[in-house]
Amino acid sequence: MLRYVYRILTINALALSLIVIFQTSTQAQPNGEALFKANCTACHVVGEDVVVGPGLKNVHTKYKEDWLIKWIRNSQALVKAGDPQAVKVYEQFNKVAMTSFNLSDDEIKSIIGYIKTESEAAPAVAPTPQVAAGSDAKEGGSSLTLILVLLTLIILFVILNRVQKGLQRVINDRNGIPEPEKLTGKAGLKVWIRGNKKLIAFLFIAVSVVGSVAGWNALAGIGVNQNYAPDQPIKFSHQLHVTQNKIDCRYCHSGAEKSKNAGIPSPNLCMNCHKYVKKGPKYGTEEISKIYEAIGWDVDAQQYTGKTKPIKWIRVHNLPELAYFNHSQHVTVGGVACETCHGPVGEMEVMKQFSPLTMGWCIQCHRDTPVKMEGNGYYSEIHEKYKAKYGPDAKLTVEKLGGTECARCHY
Amino acid sequence: MEKRYWKGVDELNNDPEFVRLRNNEFFEHLPLNESLQKKAESDSSTSRRDFLKFLGFSVAAASLAACDAPVKKAIPYVVKPEEITLGVPNYYASTFADGSDYCSVLIKTREGRPIKIEGNEMSSVTKGATNARVQASVLSLYDNARLQQPMAKKKRTEWNTIDAEITAKLTEQAAAGKKIAVVTSSMYSPSGKRALSDFIAKYPTASHVVYDAVSYYGMLKGNELSFGKSVIPSYSIDKAEVIVSFNADFLQNWLSPIEFARQYGETRKLRKGKRTLSKHHQFESMLSLSGANADQRHKIKPSQQSAVIASLYNKVAALTGGTSVNATATPLDKSLDGIAKELVAAKGKSVVMSGSNDPNEQVMVNAINFLLGNYGSTINLDRTCNLKNSNDAAYAQLLSDMDNGSVGAVIFWNTNPAYTASNPKAFAATLAKVPVKISLSDREDETAQGCDYVCPDHHYLESWGDAEAYKGSFSLMQPTIRPLFNTRQAGESLLKWSGSAVADYYTYIRNTWNAVVFPMQNGMSSFDAFWNQSLRDGVFEASFVIGGATSFTGNVAAAADLLGKPAAGIELTIYEKAGLGNGAGGNNPWLHELPDPITKVCWDNYFAVLPAYAEKMGWRQGTVIEVKVGNSTVKGPVLLQPAMSDETIAVALGYGRTNCGKAGNNVGFNAYPLVSMTGGVQKYYASGVAVNKTVEDDYTFALTQTHHTMMGRDIVKETSLAAWLKDPKAGNAPELIASPEGPKTPEELDLWKTEDEPGFDRLNHAWGLGIDLNSCIGCGACVIACNAENNVPVVGKDEIGRAREMHWIRIDRYYTSDTTKENAEDKGLGKLDMYGEMEKPASDNPQIMFQPVMCQHCNHAPCETVCPVAATTHSSDGLNMMAYNRCVGTRYCANNCPYKVRRYNWFKYSDNDQFPYNMNDSLGKMVLNPDVTVRSRGVMEKCSMCIQRIQYGRLDAKKEGRRPKDGEIKTACAQGCPTNAIVFGDYNDPNSQISELFKDERSYHLLASVGTRPSVFYQTKVWNRTEEPVKNHHS
Repeated sequence: MLRYVYRILTINALALSLIVIFQTSTQAQPNGEALFKANCTACHVVGEDVVVGPGLKNVHTKYKEDWLIKWIRNSQALVKAGDPQAVKVYEQFNKVAMTSFNLSDDEIKSIIGYIKTESEAAPAVAPTPQVAAGSDAKEGGSSLTLILVLLTLIILFVILNRVQKGLQRVINDRNGIPEPEKLTGKAGLKVWIRGNKKLIAFLFIAVSVVGSVAGWNALAGIGVNQNYAPDQPIKFSHQLHVTQNKIDCRYCHSGAEKSKNAGIPSPNLCMNCHKYVKKGPKYGTEEISKIYEAIGWDVDAQQYTGKTKPIKWIRVHNLPELAYFNHSQHVTVGGVACETCHGPVGEMEVMKQFSPLTMGWCIQCHRDTPVKMEGNGYYSEIHEKYKAKYGPDAKLTVEKLGGTECARCHY
Repeated sequence: MEKRYWKGVDELNNDPEFVRLRNNEFFEHLPLNESLQKKAESDSSTSRRDFLKFLGFSVAAASLAACDAPVKKAIPYVVKPEEITLGVPNYYASTFADGSDYCSVLIKTREGRPIKIEGNEMSSVTKGATNARVQASVLSLYDNARLQQPMAKKKRTEWNTIDAEITAKLTEQAAAGKKIAVVTSSMYSPSGKRALSDFIAKYPTASHVVYDAVSYYGMLKGNELSFGKSVIPSYSIDKAEVIVSFNADFLQNWLSPIEFARQYGETRKLRKGKRTLSKHHQFESMLSLSGANADQRHKIKPSQQSAVIASLYNKVAALTGGTSVNATATPLDKSLDGIAKELVAAKGKSVVMSGSNDPNEQVMVNAINFLLGNYGSTINLDRTCNLKNSNDAAYAQLLSDMDNGSVGAVIFWNTNPAYTASNPKAFAATLAKVPVKISLSDREDETAQGCDYVCPDHHYLESWGDAEAYKGSFSLMQPTIRPLFNTRQAGESLLKWSGSAVADYYTYIRNTWNAVVFPMQNGMSSFDAFWNQSLRDGVFEASFVIGGATSFTGNVAAAADLLGKPAAGIELTIYEKAGLGNGAGGNNPWLHELPDPITKVCWDNYFAVLPAYAEKMGWRQGTVIEVKVGNSTVKGPVLLQPAMSDETIAVALGYGRTNCGKAGNNVGFNAYPLVSMTGGVQKYYASGVAVNKTVEDDYTFALTQTHHTMMGRDIVKETSLAAWLKDPKAGNAPELIASPEGPKTPEELDLWKTEDEPGFDRLNHAWGLGIDLNSCIGCGACVIACNAENNVPVVGKDEIGRAREMHWIRIDRYYTSDTTKENAEDKGLGKLDMYGEMEKPASDNPQIMFQPVMCQHCNHAPCETVCPVAATTHSSDGLNMMAYNRCVGTRYCANNCPYKVRRYNWFKYSDNDQFPYNMNDSLGKMVLNPDVTVRSRGVMEKCSMCIQRIQYGRLDAKKEGRRPKDGEIKTACAQGCPTNAIVFGDYNDPNSQISELFKDERSYHLLASVGTRPSVFYQTKVWNRTEEPVKNHHS
């Protein structure tokens, strides 16, 4: 029993300490890391590997800070000016011109500082997954505690029962009451049942109530796949792309604004970045090479082979086919944020279904959410009519405009 | 005078079977389906105990399986085409030209998959109209019976191999001096013609023979005799005040029916201050769609037509100062006087047409039009119609050449003479004599069966192509899907065999347009810009100078003397049906299941005869008879068809295919053997026909109408033009209900309090449909449009026989009866007798009315109140909604629906081998509209007023921050309608067309007395007749 408590405490302590470590490290160079991730990660990693540009491990020791600032501001100017160091770097990396960055000295210094810290740190362990693991353990902890309490109670009950029986026997001995004949088998059961009618009645009711509730919940849960997070053929991380790289959802899911389908991006869209970003922070080239295989990109020859192989993603959000749902209605007209239904996608390493996607869930939102009428010519005239009907201050929800009628979604 | 309408002969006769069906509108007996049951019973060894075991097991298995959601894959494009956004349709302009119909179209594609055909409003020819065949053509793309690769001697082969073989053989035949013939249907593709001439240049012995199953050669010859040029003029029926048609079914099949239907519809509209109607006379022996719409229909026997035309000519000549000709007297002479007067009064604004293939008759008709000054106004000989250019004489010559062995090779392109031959056996023998036989058919059809090589053509939705339907009216065809199979465009095959420098047809067409079409305009200097513009629009209209005055140079007297004389005895007339036409699209189940506009028969053709005549001959509905014309005998069932001419049998072509695919094989019988060659032209009628009654069992038809009787209530309202001009409410008296306080309107006696209903105030939209019965011609384009849009399943003949058709929209056809409440007293009939008589065929030439009926979206809907599970409810914008997943299939709603528009899914029609149509194979399913649920067994369904289109259009408006524009959202039926008889819109928009129409005095609700307050309204039919106006018995 103590074992469990100990384990929970350890896990929590571990998780907490990790968070503390992580936070302190980020607090040291908040500016530098953010700037690095915003501007540099598309082409560089802090390591040995060449992505588009060279790996930047220990770059602060190779070049002087002044020169680095100049280079980052405008590398081509340096090359054109004939700076030998610049020309060397330019030629060494296939004459790919580095983008110029309009950053202040302090900002560039902070980036260099970040690279320095990262270079000196032991082989970087991606901190985020551990934090995630920690929080998982915490979540698990609450149910474990419950089980623990129950177990304790049961054990307590058993011990007390034994103690009571033992005491009874002692009393009986002292009073000279012979020990009752031990009945076994059917007869024993009968005697036991006769003696515990209330308990049995209680158990019967309890079992049927619990059973019915559990059965009902199980049936209601059929087809509800909340938190469904299947393994995908490519270990694509929304966490990396959304939070770290700050790519807008609609860059890849462009249909969300225009169509009923948000759409899964086709690999040619991936290639807009991954033509240059050849290595990921976690899986290296392994996962990105799957994009290349799909679209038929020969990394060495830097050209398309024409041999394509579609990526078979596992569909996460499976709305029943009998329901009509239109992304553009919600995104473009309603102004609903993607996160409202899809949850904190930016924190998801593996994409999961955040909402239950049940009809009750849809309807609840339609009942609660006011329609965004301002600034939309479609509503200007009817807004007045609805105000007249429901009062000037009434919340004109989607439902009031007929948003819970069957044929809005089922036809 | 009040007219009664009845639904069919069965109703008129109070046929016991009909009465039984009428009393049980959901006619069924358990067990449900004999065909299913038969097998199950005989094969089954399952006892009740076993059954329960299985049941228990499957329930357990199913619930276990249900716990785990199946893993679904989402596979994006590898490289997404720029123009495609998933879930958003793209439209491409193209052209439907199958040698029979011409239509400029827009193709709706979803994710690169064509799913719906719409009319192209930019076309000056078809102006956005379509017909049933055009609407259904998208299904033919996904036809399993199409060939998937080239075939040589019935074996699969590759294009390179077959090209090498064919080129070698053609060269060999040409070198040996043997003729090479390319047989096509009417050819009006500039690039196709150029490819043919290139082919002929390469093989000098080659020639191009145009052969149409239904020929207009007589018309071409007649025009040559009349004007010295073998052309067909263009007709502007919209400019005509008087229309006289001699057996030309111009609303359904004749010449350019889609174009004519749109033009005709314009002349039948009474909107926006237009207070005139065209006057339409139809002379015919069978009841055609055009005849059914005619203001005055004159029954003739086929052989009388020549004499009637000659007689009309004489009468017009007498009034206009022309010379008269010899004419046989006909019983119609008296009414012809009046028609001649009407024609002359509308000089220059009338049109006379004849569907005859007899050149002399066409000369007479041309002479009448010439006397009336119609050339240059309603008929234009300069803007020639290229749609029909078959040459019966050349084809007959080819057949005899083939027979005598002088033809070395023959290529069939978009034509199927083995099926359309009047003697299939003789044709097969003739064909066998040709050493090299090549078919470019898309399937192993009857002709391809007899060919050595089959080089399958693309479907038109996979093809590049062009057309010049009228002189100067060009249109382009573009592919909207990558070829599904290893097929190749017919034009490209010809290019290949001619060794053309340009191998791909796309470049070839571009070159043609650059050389021929581009110089016809001067707006654009770059060909690329011109090409892109034309491709985007689908059409290009060249302006050309109209020539001088037309002079008639024909010899009328000579032509009159050569006309056929009226004959005695049984006659036969041969026609095409609305669905199948000439039978080219014979494997299209949508067309088979489209009820014939007149007879309401699905999945069959038949010998239609007048009921009185049938009685005289001892025939009943379904009696199998043999009809003999010349040496050809054809066997088929009799269908009782009122309004037929006496002693006349009508039969439809296009049925009885044997090699078109599983849906169409052996449906009906082939009537082509009854077509004969007379005087070098194909003749589509016959006199002196021998008819034999066989001893076979009576045949059963799948009829859609007698199952849906409205019990003789006042449904279609009508009036005459004269009465309407006096009183715009004529014929449309409000329906009042007797109450203790006197007659009241249904609204006053309403059970419901409108203000209590949530959302009844319709603050946002109030959708509705308006149907103008005056311009509805009953053609059935809306039915197929609805099929395609709403994934309506095909159920087959058996199920239709059980009244289980699934169409969401039907077109009711009513005949009048001469006995009415008013004249019953004069006839000395008592009340009971009167009702009896009103159901009887009192007239042999009844009026015909059409009424499209879909869900009326009642605002006080009887179906909604009886649904025990609230599966059908009302929306705040006036729609009657149907939630399939909520429906448990009690069918209370259908029982309570006064309009009988609800359809029950007796079976699962998809993925079910019992229904081997498009929803049962993966290819056919590609036509399904992804925005509409495919319904499963046990649920009700009905017209949703194309809610998916409403949702789409409304969302578009919202995204752009505006209200939807009137006309922006259209239901499939409204969009497909060739005459714009159906209008969709928002009653809440005061400027919408529908609000304007609804205010019109002609508007009424169907069965208003029931008090259902529908969102759909109809408009009174106004006949342009000289007779007294029809009195409504309520007035």
